[in-house]
Amino acid sequence: MVKNAMSTQSIRTRFLGTETSYSVSGAWLSYWILLLRLTAGWWMLHAGLDKIWAWPFDASWFVGGAAQGTILAPFVTPFSDGILLSFVNVAVPLGQTAIGIGLILGLLTRTAAFFGAYLMLFFYFINGYGGGWAHGMVTGELLGIMVFGTIVALGAGGVLAVDNRLREMEPFENTRLRRLLG
Amino acid sequence: MADKIAMYVGGGLVVLGVVVIGLLDMLLGAGHPVNSEGAIEHAAVVPIDIRAGIILLGLVVWGSVAVYKFAAGPAPTGTSAGQAPSGMDD
Repeated sequence: MVKNAMSTQSIRTRFLGTETSYSVSGAWLSYWILLLRLTAGWWMLHAGLDKIWAWPFDASWFVGGAAQGTILAPFVTPFSDGILLSFVNVAVPLGQTAIGIGLILGLLTRTAAFFGAYLMLFFYFINGYGGGWAHGMVTGELLGIMVFGTIVALGAGGVLAVDNRLREMEPFENTRLRRLLG
Repeated sequence: MADKIAMYVGGGLVVLGVVVIGLLDMLLGAGHPVNSEGAIEHAAVVPIDIRAGIILLGLVVWGSVAVYKFAAGPAPTGTSAGQAPSGMDD
């Protein structure tokens, strides 16, 4: 008979003014956070590579068109032409690709997930407003923000991740830069 | 302190915008939530723009705290290679 080797972690903390304690399976937590990272990573990597494959990418329909009249318009529409549009046309595909690679490899995981959430914030509000919120306030994009937030909060770069090696390196050792890792 | 602002203010606004106002709309709003074309009708108690703004504000608070913690917070402590540091460790 094989013994169950899965360890259980006890979470005990004070949260929002109350004592909280519960148990989680360390093995399942690691497993699930890895799957979350790989899934979200491929989501971004695919989105980025798709745009690079079909280069040139033109985001003007989004930043200049779809964003019009939305709550983010004041921040987004200045990027709808000229050099700022050129920047967006390059930054979005490269950014999505970098986020995807970062999450899949567990490389600068927390940074990658932060920018994933940042990017998703634009998709959430612009698509939501553009569609009149016809699919409700909780959409795939909002859940995407929550997934990236989960990766940031749980330090998902600790599981089968390059970040484990980076933590041993001098620039990341006992410095604020460690926060960039998972 | 930054963590508390993120938890109470950021989380509070997101939960208010998504859940609390959603529940109020269900309880106090008029009509069936889905029209004949399958789209949700927002017979909103709180205007949809304000609701979206509340959620946006909550997300911006979370993001701002994350940036602040990186820029001004102390270095994470007590972690060794192979262990994932907590995001709420100070």
